Amino acid sequence: MMGAQPFETIMGAHHAEIYRYLQRVTSRAMEAEDLSQETFLRAYRAYRTLGPDANVRAWLFAIATNLSRNHFRSEKRRRVAHQAVSVENREADLEGPEDEARFGEARALLETTVQGLPFKQRLAFIMRKIHDLDYEAIGRSLDCSPESARAHVFQALRKIRLGLNGRELPPAGGVERRASPASPTERRGAGAPPSETSRLSMERPR
Amino acid sequence: MKRKPQVCLEIEPDLVAAATGDAEPGAVGRVEHHIDSCGACRGEFHRYREIDGVVGALRRAPAAAESVARAREGLDSRLADLRSRLVSYRVFPSPLGHILIARSEHGVSLVEYLHRGTDLRTSRLHRIAGVELQEDGAEIETFYLELLEYLRGDRTRLEWPLDLRLARSDFHRAVLRATAAIPYGALTSYAGIAAEIGKPAATRAVAQALRWNPLPIVVPCHRIIGTSGALTGYSGDKIGLKQQLLAVEGIQAIGTRSDSRVARNTLYHYDRNDQHEYCLPTCGDIARRPIGPVTLLASRELAGALGLVPCTNCRPDLHPLAA
Repeated sequence: MMGAQPFETIMGAHHAEIYRYLQRVTSRAMEAEDLSQETFLRAYRAYRTLGPDANVRAWLFAIATNLSRNHFRSEKRRRVAHQAVSVENREADLEGPEDEARFGEARALLETTVQGLPFKQRLAFIMRKIHDLDYEAIGRSLDCSPESARAHVFQALRKIRLGLNGRELPPAGGVERRASPASPTERRGAGAPPSETSRLSMERPR
Repeated sequence: MKRKPQVCLEIEPDLVAAATGDAEPGAVGRVEHHIDSCGACRGEFHRYREIDGVVGALRRAPAAAESVARAREGLDSRLADLRSRLVSYRVFPSPLGHILIARSEHGVSLVEYLHRGTDLRTSRLHRIAGVELQEDGAEIETFYLELLEYLRGDRTRLEWPLDLRLARSDFHRAVLRATAAIPYGALTSYAGIAAEIGKPAATRAVAQALRWNPLPIVVPCHRIIGTSGALTGYSGDKIGLKQQLLAVEGIQAIGTRSDSRVARNTLYHYDRNDQHEYCLPTCGDIARRPIGPVTLLASRELAGALGLVPCTNCRPDLHPLAA
């Protein structure tokens, strides 16, 4: 059965996001470029066998994840990539007004910490927290159950928490104020971060 | 360092999930209840919220549009290349033995009689440079089902999109196009095709081109015979297949395997004329004239469909050939 849409539509809708995902995973533009292209070439070969109701986005993430897992099977490559991002991040985001800088620093620190995570946790974290995939899809990408996928994200957050121990971070509300009107947190449903006014209330905003 | 109480350890996953906007239903209430009475966990909750804020910033960080565009450009070019190289195929059983059907994005590019069952090693597919092969699931089956109908005599046309790139030259492609235009139940000769494409001296080259026809059956090279009516050859030494394919269209061959020819006296003849009249094989010396200039037709219906009218001398309308 042929997928419901022409393949060009699929590329138009998902290429940029898959590229960004792989850029976070690989930390290198060249590798992200190559792997994102491989992802879509592989998808093109298999597209005609995809059911019309398939979740194309989750399917593409699974292909991209598999490719990057193969790519990073060599521990050495992974270490090289880690070093690369540490250098890049130190140079980034340090200009502008003071709070911009502090904000940028926190982000760079987070990025470095994420890069240091065990690979599966890193992938799960990026898929969940950056790309908002559900645990079902993440589990499929990582060959594990949705529960394990959730556990990977939890462990990732714990390690990030430890990695940022003692660092001053911008207050949660302050960051939220910066959010664009269509903040992704609003899409997340139960347990979205509380607003500044209701410090400990965990109701949905509005 | 003081060890965390068990209750705090247990609620930690829910606490982290709730603070980062990812709690399962019901968890929020439990967390709320716990941090009301546990200061340490309240602090943790707040810390995770701060972290979630920074994660949000990371998520919103703009992409480098330039590098996305560059990657997309590279992808477009690699995909175009893949599309031109990708050939999907499947092997099917048929009354003529195992047949391989292959297609590219442009259309069916190869129909091949396999020599040894489903053994692909002898296939032409493996001698084509630069293609990427992919065994196809359902898509090619449609072609196969139509082919079976055709071989049963239940279908007279195979209107498939064709990709002639596996032909060896533009000359070969011209031969294949001219051959594809020969209607079901009609016969012409190699010389006839040569004349048709404007190369009347190239009879042998036409025969060579059809010997390498990548699309037998659908490009009906079995409808091309010698000027005298001899079947000459088919796909190497498969003259028996040529007889079978002609029989499907109502054309009988006579003689031995090495000297097989069509029975002209069972076929209507059309020698090109301004009145568009077709004849019985007994009309004058028409049965001795070379095939090519003369087209042989299996039925009066076919003659009618081609816009031909019965000859006013031999009157094929009054004296039909025995079916």
